[in-house]
Amino acid sequence: MSRSLHILRAYITHYLLAWLASRSFAFTLVANQAVTPLIGLAVWSTALPGANLSSYYLALLVTRLVTVSYEQHTFSGRIYSGELIDDLLRPHPAMLATLGQNLALRAWHVLIGLPAIVAVLLLSQASFALPDVLLAVPALVGAAALQFLFTYTLALSAFWTERAHGVVGIGGTLVFLLGGEAVPAPLLPDAIRPLGVALPFRAMHGFPAEIAAGLLAPDAMLVGYGWQLLWLAVFAIGAALVWRGGVRRFMAVGG
Amino acid sequence: MRRSLALLWAIVAVAVQRELAQRANLVFVALQTLLTSASGLFAVWAVFSQTTTLAGWRQAEVIVLLGLFQVMTGLLEAFVEPNLAWFVEKVVNGELDDTLVKPVPSLLLASLGTCQPWAFVQVVVGVGIVIAGLAPLAAQLTIGGVAAALILLAAGVLITWATRVLLACLAFWAPGMDPTVLYQAFWQLGRYPIGVYHPAVQRLLTWIVPVAFITTVPARTLTSGWSSSAVATGIGAAAVIAVFATWAWRQGLERYTSATS
Repeated sequence: MSRSLHILRAYITHYLLAWLASRSFAFTLVANQAVTPLIGLAVWSTALPGANLSSYYLALLVTRLVTVSYEQHTFSGRIYSGELIDDLLRPHPAMLATLGQNLALRAWHVLIGLPAIVAVLLLSQASFALPDVLLAVPALVGAAALQFLFTYTLALSAFWTERAHGVVGIGGTLVFLLGGEAVPAPLLPDAIRPLGVALPFRAMHGFPAEIAAGLLAPDAMLVGYGWQLLWLAVFAIGAALVWRGGVRRFMAVGG
Repeated sequence: MRRSLALLWAIVAVAVQRELAQRANLVFVALQTLLTSASGLFAVWAVFSQTTTLAGWRQAEVIVLLGLFQVMTGLLEAFVEPNLAWFVEKVVNGELDDTLVKPVPSLLLASLGTCQPWAFVQVVVGVGIVIAGLAPLAAQLTIGGVAAALILLAAGVLITWATRVLLACLAFWAPGMDPTVLYQAFWQLGRYPIGVYHPAVQRLLTWIVPVAFITTVPARTLTSGWSSSAVATGIGAAAVIAVFATWAWRQGLERYTSATS
């Protein structure tokens, strides 16, 4: 375990430095990630000026930057190009390199996105209570893990199809639709709110933001944590099974 | 002009033939497009379940705007993005040489030289959304309003192309900067009336990434009637920006150093 953590730390350092050379591109990625919560903030602030959803959308912006995952580009690309063979030959789980790159990219996203977070905090009427923020931290960690497992599992579709981008894109659309970006879960129409609360998409984005913004009662928070843990288990098992099936199909040609 | 149109037609035909080799992709693209459209409509529906107007726009009007946004996004992704996305790499690696030696206008070939036919699915879905949005507004539609909206849409297409060319031209002066992702991020702001954004963002969306001219003005014209000033401004803006893009392209080419020496 400690050996794996040591290797993971080495990968994180490696990719942090590698992305230092591409920081201008990382800036554009952050802008792309930030735009959806900011649109949500603008639209809902106009639609419901008295509801003060600034705190929610600011927390959602942070959640999005902390949970960002690009495995459809980083990992699927290695499957398509055959470079995965290099990972398979290394004496550690192949997933560690992908996870290391994911964590390094998230660190860059938070660092580059910090000015935008501070700007929204100053320009909007967002405010947070410290107990709510502390209660949201485990949910944020869970959301980050769940988003990674979700994207990683979908990116593994590259073993079977040349459309991993499309598969992950469909997953991203579902996250936008039901994850609390298009509509905060408390504002979902009554007919579909229970579904939105139970599906994994809210646990990836909206759930930590709802806690941090103080939108959830204690019992609703507990139910949310329950769903998040359940989906973490489902996607961890799913990722392991899909990986096992996919790697048996993998073929690389090299010399 | 006729030769250029024939060339464009040939480009589309070749692209369709190429993509037909991967018909399974159509299923993914259609599914993704339908899901994206449904999510946009769902968001509008959810907003209007809490309010009756959004920055002065009624629900049907916002749906029309969303549909026009889809149409323009489809056209952008079908014709412009496959050519100008990651244009910096072509300039840095000297890949533009291949375009420059061909006996056709370089700007035409560089900006419209290939196309992504699956993006037409988005255009078709967008047209469907526009029609659905217009259904409850049928009584207030006028021939003049529809004609003016079509003219403004054509101007919007030209503005979209020219803006993207201008951003691509940045590669000749600042090859370290690729505005592709940033442009795509700002483009997303066009799916709602620009009145919902901060005044500074509204100015940005009018003059820098002019999605206001591209979607908001045609949608407003279609749903609320036309004004000669809006049409004149749209045509004028399209003409100015197209001329400016052509000039910037020529200036940029003079700085291009090619792959060989």
